[in-house]
Amino acid sequence: MTQELAAVAEPKQASLLTRLNPLRGMNLSSRFWIALVIVAIVMLLGLAGFVYPTGSGEKVGSLYDAPGNGLLLGTDNFGHDVVAVLMAGTRTSLTIGLVAGIVATLIGVAIGLIAGFVGGWVEELLMGFTNVVLAIPSIIVLILISISLPQSTIWSLAIVIGITSWPWTARAVRAQASSVATREHIDVARLSGARLPEILVKDVLPYILSYTVMAFVLQVSGAILAEAALSMLGLGPSGTDSLGTQLHWALAFQAVASGAWWAFLPPTIVLTLVSFGFLLLQASLDEVFNPRLRRGKKKQMKKAAARRAAEARALAEAAASAVDGSSRTRAGESA
Amino acid sequence: MTELESRRTDQRSTTSRRRFIAATGALGGTAALAACGGGGGDAGEGSDLVGVGNNGQAGRGRSGDSAEHLFIAGFQWSPPTNFNTFAGAPAWPAAANVAQYVYETLLRFHIVSGELKPGLAASHEVNGSESITLTLQDGITWHDGSPFTTDDVLYTFELGKIDPSLGIAAFWLEVDEMTAEGNTISIAINQERKNIGMVLTNLAQQFIVPKAVFEKAAAETGNKLATWETQELMGTGPFTLETADQTQVILARHDDYWGKDFYGGLPAMSKIVHPIFKSNEDGNIKFQNGELDVMQQFVPQISKMWESNKPVGTYLQDEPYFVPGSMPLLMMNTTKPGLDDPAVRKALAHAVDYASIAETAMSGYSSQVLASLIVPDGAEDQWLDRDKAEADGWTYDAAKAEELLQAAGYAKGSDGFYAKDGVKLGPWKLITPQGWTDWNAALEIVAKNLQAIGVDASTNFPQQAQAQTAIQNGDFDMCCWYVAGTNPATPWQRFSDVMSNEDMVPAGQTAYRNLTRWENAEVNDLLAAAAAASDDASKKAAMTALDDLYRTAVPVFPLMYRPDEFFEFNASNWSNWPTEDNDYAPPMFRGAGNEWIFKIKQIGA
Repeated sequence: MTQELAAVAEPKQASLLTRLNPLRGMNLSSRFWIALVIVAIVMLLGLAGFVYPTGSGEKVGSLYDAPGNGLLLGTDNFGHDVVAVLMAGTRTSLTIGLVAGIVATLIGVAIGLIAGFVGGWVEELLMGFTNVVLAIPSIIVLILISISLPQSTIWSLAIVIGITSWPWTARAVRAQASSVATREHIDVARLSGARLPEILVKDVLPYILSYTVMAFVLQVSGAILAEAALSMLGLGPSGTDSLGTQLHWALAFQAVASGAWWAFLPPTIVLTLVSFGFLLLQASLDEVFNPRLRRGKKKQMKKAAARRAAEARALAEAAASAVDGSSRTRAGESA
Repeated sequence: MTELESRRTDQRSTTSRRRFIAATGALGGTAALAACGGGGGDAGEGSDLVGVGNNGQAGRGRSGDSAEHLFIAGFQWSPPTNFNTFAGAPAWPAAANVAQYVYETLLRFHIVSGELKPGLAASHEVNGSESITLTLQDGITWHDGSPFTTDDVLYTFELGKIDPSLGIAAFWLEVDEMTAEGNTISIAINQERKNIGMVLTNLAQQFIVPKAVFEKAAAETGNKLATWETQELMGTGPFTLETADQTQVILARHDDYWGKDFYGGLPAMSKIVHPIFKSNEDGNIKFQNGELDVMQQFVPQISKMWESNKPVGTYLQDEPYFVPGSMPLLMMNTTKPGLDDPAVRKALAHAVDYASIAETAMSGYSSQVLASLIVPDGAEDQWLDRDKAEADGWTYDAAKAEELLQAAGYAKGSDGFYAKDGVKLGPWKLITPQGWTDWNAALEIVAKNLQAIGVDASTNFPQQAQAQTAIQNGDFDMCCWYVAGTNPATPWQRFSDVMSNEDMVPAGQTAYRNLTRWENAEVNDLLAAAAAASDDASKKAAMTALDDLYRTAVPVFPLMYRPDEFFEFNASNWSNWPTEDNDYAPPMFRGAGNEWIFKIKQIGA
């Protein structure tokens, strides 16, 4: 489309450039930038642990020392610096979220693609299984698996969360895949002798990739919250700081009753920011990928409409002048 | 709370949504603090009163009926359903050995001095290691007015034979015969075991129950007394059960109490009320407000209460605030490769930062840990050879721990963990029940300490039943667990619990003592000698011999000390609480802890 247009609208260089600007083209909203900043802040907080002078396992004070004396957020129940623990905890939570998100998305996309594209009894079987898994509350499965694991590490926890949260991704991807399956280019691929895996990866997946990316973002944020819930119950990774274990110890040592807000508010705020940031990111990406969801103030809409009208006029004029001016050029072009 | 709620409504009525969110957020954080500011203790100077808050303050007293009531908490967590003292989980105060309010015991143990004070028995006499003679007090009556006799005493202990599933059955392991003549009772000690300490413990802990009532119960249940359910409670004590419902248990003073003369009067309070809370936090907030007078709940950082001018006090004015009465132990399974080496076990004992555990996990409620199985304070202190414990024992010294490992032939591998002849030190799991928060936190510290010296250890907190089964069946690497707390039979009972080689069972079967399955040829003889020691000097020598053996073997090591019972009071309405400077009674609820109910003074009365 753009190429065609560019060829036709050669004389209007300025308007062409704005059209080619990828960011402009994606129509990113201010929401997206806010979401990106929030997620970036949280990630920076996690990475800051590598340069922060105090280790998260270093005892720098006593039980719940109030903020002050060089400790920005005081100490936790172990006498560790809350800032250091928060950084380590954020890193752990993000790692768990990413790994669990990848695992869940991989499983969900694989099952959804096959079920949606292949159809028939394969679809019935896979979706039947998915529905069964979907019907079982995942938190119960999570708790049961976590209890029965001999050793809880951040990797085992991430994988456990991943393998309990894929079903909705699978269902959604199946719906998309079965719609893609009916398109003509699939028939072309079939006729040209492509095998099933090749078709799935080259001809189906690209069409649902934008959806997959959004599902992944949601899975990451869900996994971070699932980790926090499990860790708060005391089923978290042993010997590691995470946002959930921080809350677990704050509850266990009655931080709320003793007024030690610095023990439970920071991880709560970071958790809120993380899930809010990822959800906002997903919503704003949704707007980019799905034009129907694009929103904006009336003024902006009018502006855009005016701009589009002007561009259309310019195009029409250019086309008209091309037709009128030189049939040679036009003939040369089309040749 | 009403003040708080009205403030919250005010904010809700303002139009700005953002302001509302900000305000409620702040309220959430400070709700606990704000609630404390509200009710109860207008703390004033209590300079003329003794036994008041650790900050020297006392309240002005409550008004109305509740001024004469004592509010107590920390013993009952669910609605009371059964007051049969022999049931699996009887309600307070029928639960065994909680407080002498309704039922009483023959002797009363004093946790600070270690004395056995007279209770229902006016005196007791130990005759060598052969027998014990008890003489009952005069004029004891049951709440229904019927006389209390030696028959009731004999029948109570006899119940252990009638229903061998009851705990009291263990009494008959140590005793051959119990007979009465007039007002005296003679107990013939089992001459094979000669364990006077255990017999005295039973005499000091077993509530004496009315024969008339329990004979009927035995007949009704076909001698399955644990299954009997009752909502009634009749004892000899200074209180009767008045009401018990979902929210509270109320005891009313029994004005015809037999002990009026013996204890110098009737109890100071007309009623004892035990509200039932869902969680520790509910009770702790009420306690801070002066709506509870005394309790035995765990309060993290109780010093904050008197620092914020609440008239809250403890027996000791300074850390550890509570008299130590038990020691949670780190137990090492001596059948596991690596942990079967005493040199390793001793090195691990050197690796643990006890001060950190006491300071953070235990809120400072533990004194300096000593390398001994004897609690170095209170009743057991007299049996401790402190110099030896310090000379041959261990303290936190990570460098020394690594030295010991190297001396024993262990070398650090490429993974950073010590190993010898292919036996790697770890990975080991440190287990204790989930939710036992101070122990969970202590084990987190231990795991970090062990990792720091090059021993692979991590924590794992299963549910209580699962943890207990694993520990008793020997299915663990290391665990934090308890043994006998201070009682008339300790420290002997603790040595027996930790080291006894009697009735050893292989891993996979349930063990009740020596959970680390430590094997030794001489310990049984030492235990027998210590149990039968007839005078204090030989008893101390025998205890020291056991402690010496313990320090060479180190199957377990203490992580911290805990009080037998947390004893915390709020002098908002009552003064003259027992403290170190006002030590007419011990800081306890059970045993000799009934003395203060006769002596505390109502403020403003």
